Amino acid sequence: MEYYHVEGFRKRFSETEVLKGIGFDLPKGKIMAIIGASGSGKTTLLRCLNFLEKPDEGKIYIDGALLFDAKARYSERELREKRLRSGLVFQSFNLFPHYRALKNISLAPELLARRHIRAYRKEQLEASRGEPFFARRKQVRRRTRAYAKELKETNRERAESLLAEVGLADKRDSYPHELSGGQQQRIAIARALALSPDVLCFDEPTSALDPELTAEVLGVIRRLKGQTMIIVTHEMSFAREVADYVLFMADGVVEEAGTPEEIFLHPKSEKTKAFLKCREENS
Amino acid sequence: MTTFLKITLELLEGFGKTCEIFFVTLALALPLGLVIAFGSMCRLRPVRAVVRAIVWVVRGTPLMLQIIVVFYGPSLIFGVYGFDRELAAIVAFVINYACYFSEIYRGGIQSVPVGQREAGQVLGMSKTQIFFRVTFMQMIKRIVAPMSNEIITLVKDTSLVRVISVVEIIMVAETSMRKGLIWPLFYTGVFYLLFVGLLTLLFRYAEKKLEYIKI
Repeated sequence: MEYYHVEGFRKRFSETEVLKGIGFDLPKGKIMAIIGASGSGKTTLLRCLNFLEKPDEGKIYIDGALLFDAKARYSERELREKRLRSGLVFQSFNLFPHYRALKNISLAPELLARRHIRAYRKEQLEASRGEPFFARRKQVRRRTRAYAKELKETNRERAESLLAEVGLADKRDSYPHELSGGQQQRIAIARALALSPDVLCFDEPTSALDPELTAEVLGVIRRLKGQTMIIVTHEMSFAREVADYVLFMADGVVEEAGTPEEIFLHPKSEKTKAFLKCREENS
Repeated sequence: MTTFLKITLELLEGFGKTCEIFFVTLALALPLGLVIAFGSMCRLRPVRAVVRAIVWVVRGTPLMLQIIVVFYGPSLIFGVYGFDRELAAIVAFVINYACYFSEIYRGGIQSVPVGQREAGQVLGMSKTQIFFRVTFMQMIKRIVAPMSNEIITLVKDTSLVRVISVVEIIMVAETSMRKGLIWPLFYTGVFYLLFVGLLTLLFRYAEKKLEYIKI
């Protein structure tokens, strides 16, 4: 079993079975590209992996530990915890239009920090037990505030360094609508990275972009060395170049999986061959 | 001239009552409307059905009738008397306007793309956080125009409270009309116009302030 292990994912929407038992393994720090025709279930798979969709069956293991089992019942809170282990970059960016770029990135970490602040406060209250009531409250309040400020500062610095990482340090105060599609998607990538997910998923990250903007986004993804990633993409040349593994999906099953050479140069399945041939002709 | 001044002061006093009903209704109906909006979008079917039925009844009957029902209802059914007139009027107004507001809220919430909520979910936010941090401002941006309509209507609807003899500006004017003076009734229009003009400016300001959100 590798670092990220997915097995037996099934998903049915009323009459149609979209995923018919999907499984794969992905070592830490590696990149997997998922290719396949529209309607083959690629997006549904990603949505299931990020718990936006509830699969009927399936398990996810991270680092050998069971993270998710479709048969188990999880509370809203547990599911939220699990979602933090993976990130998702959407085809349509979905940036928050009412926040500036920096805030888009730092919002989620700031909300998470609140929990740490509460825990810290509790800890401080415990530690100072026995001291005079008002003095104790005052001291705890002061320390908690200082701690909150410190966390906020850390979050902001992290958001700024992420902005720099995607090459948009100068856009920190821009609203999403003031940015190009490519820039928006780069902010969205930084936003997903801010929570340091174990696995980062991309759902056709460049499909909504003009060709000239595609390159800058792919460039950013290419530079994310060491991050375990799953990329659903229509960009065959990109998949071939950056992916360590390629998974070809057809009709809700893994038709063929392997290294880029195996899939692109020596495909075994007829369906894979047909798909790649069709792609070549189109491009 | 002295009559004019006297009438102005009288009308101003009546208008004070009008404003009172307006602001209290607004302060209570705005939050209540949000609660009703959530009720009408609730995942539990019975809750949703009940809330939608209430909204249907409230929007489907005249406000004047509702004021009468709230004021006379308790005494007719339970034999309890001495219900405060103004309180009854405000209760009726709050329920009525909360229902109208709820539909505006619902429209605003549902017009925020589902991708926004999903982005919040993927980032590990709770439902409450998603509503207040992601959906809320986008909803506000979308509802300013329909809300301003409804709120301006509320200003003028306050004149309905005179059916249970709460003395507001129109009723004051009517009293003087019965004494033979008709012009104060027309004069009340000036008060309404000024007030609504002020509100219009306020809404324009709000719209300008929200211009930074492009959807």
